[in-house]
Order: sequence, then structure tokens, then C-alpha cells
Amino acid sequence: MIRVLVTDDSRVMRQIVIRTLRQAGYDWDVREAADGAEALAAVQADEPDVVLSDWNMPNMTGIELLRGLRAAGYQTPFGFVTSEGSPEMRQTAEDAGALFLIAKPFTPEAFREVIDPVLA
Amino acid sequence: MTATVERDQVQAIAQEVFAAMIDGDLGLLLPWDGDLPTIDDALVAWVDLHGDWSGRAVLVTANDTALDLARVLLDLDPRDDVSRDDLVDALGEIANVVGGNLKSLLPTPGTLGLPHVGDELPPLDGAVRAHHLPLSWRGRLLVVDVWVTTPLNPKEIP
Repeated sequence: MIRVLVTDDSRVMRQIVIRTLRQAGYDWDVREAADGAEALAAVQADEPDVVLSDWNMPNMTGIELLRGLRAAGYQTPFGFVTSEGSPEMRQTAEDAGALFLIAKPFTPEAFREVIDPVLA
Repeated sequence: MTATVERDQVQAIAQEVFAAMIDGDLGLLLPWDGDLPTIDDALVAWVDLHGDWSGRAVLVTANDTALDLARVLLDLDPRDDVSRDDLVDALGEIANVVGGNLKSLLPTPGTLGLPHVGDELPPLDGAVRAHHLPLSWRGRLLVVDVWVTTPLNPKEIP
């Protein structure tokens, strides 16, 4: 079973992401982190198969988390789920090594569209 | 501002956010028809945008309406209790997504602040309200406002 770490400072949004993963057909083992710093520690303690992360968070942002992971040698597949989907943010995410960026609001179809090719 | 983000675009963002996150369908968030009732027990959520274009996206609704929004977002029963933390989180996240989508329409990069929730909106220095959209969510008033402090062209302030 694929193990995912869902990172968002909003508990409500973490629940929505987890629910949407289920609706998209992904029966994954889910762990949660409330900000980038918590997620970095969670990956270091037990690396998941994939990280889904918000961008804008207190303590450590999503992009800082991704860069921190790569700097520490973790190549964990990483995708953003964020309320901002501007072209420059997508470019910044890609440059830092993100596999995809899902803009909020999203649908199960939007999840499948970007996650299925990565799983394949 | 009005040339940068039009009123119709703000409405479309709000409707898309509600359709995807809350209702599962378009058509349950509509322009308010008729006189505007006073919101006595208002809850306000806002997120600030910074950059060449700076401003604020604001959501105002009654506390009871915000509670029902939180219940839908958390997949709770209509009679379930909602903690203050979850209420603040839920309304703040809706404002956050509206603000993020608003930011995506702007022609130049900027940053989005973290969402805030309170009983009233604190002042934003030098800001003018560029858009005011009273909307009806399942017959209940929900207002979306957009404030701007640094328009690209001062002549664009309505």
C-alpha cells in the first residue's frame, strides 16, 4: 500500500485532501503533518512513498520543505496541493523538483489527472 | 483594479470554490436577490495579498452559516458540534482558496498571507473596496469583498 504524508496547516483542508484521495480511488495509508517543519521531521523519521503538501504554511513553507528534503538527500516524490496555481509558482515548484501542482479548489478527477501518470 | 480583476471573475472564483469544496455542484452560490439583511453575529475571514497589486480578499457571513459550512467541509452531520478551532479553520481556508485564486489572475507575481478569522475586519491602511458581492449560499447571505491598496493604475479605482 502506498504511504502518503499529507501536509497542510489547515486540519479542514487535510481532511478534504484525504477524502479526495479516497474519492479518486487511492486507498492509501495516510499520515498528516501540520506544517513543513513537522513534515520534514516525519520524512526523516519514516520516509513515505509520496508527500502532498500545501505551499503557504507557518514555520516552514511547502517550497522550503521540498528544498530541505532535496538538500538532505531525500528524493521522495513530492506534489503541491495549494490555493495558488500561477505559472511562476508552477515553474518554481518544478524547478525545485515537484512532480505536480494541484490548485485548490480541486476535484477527484484533478487528483487522478496528475497522480495517475506519476504512479505509472 | 477593475481592469485587473473584474467583478464577474471574483464571482466565478467564489462559485467555483463553493462548487468544488462545499456543494459538489455549481448553482448553490448565487447573487443575493433583494434587500440585504443585517448580519448580527458576523464571522469574518480574510487573506492579504502583497506585491505590485496589494489587497485583501474577505468573506463575511453569519456565525450559524459558517458553522454549517464547517460541517460540510468536515463531512459532519448537521447536528454535530463544531469546535471554535474547526470553525475558524474552515472559514479561513475558504478565504484562503478564494484569495489564492484571485492572486492567480494578477499579471505580476506576489505573495499571499495566511488566512485570519475574527468577529470584525481590521482596517487595511489606504485600502478601498473594489468589489462587493452579496451572495446567497442556500438562501443565506455570504458576502465576498475585495479590497485594494496599490492598484496598478490609480484611475482604475471605481
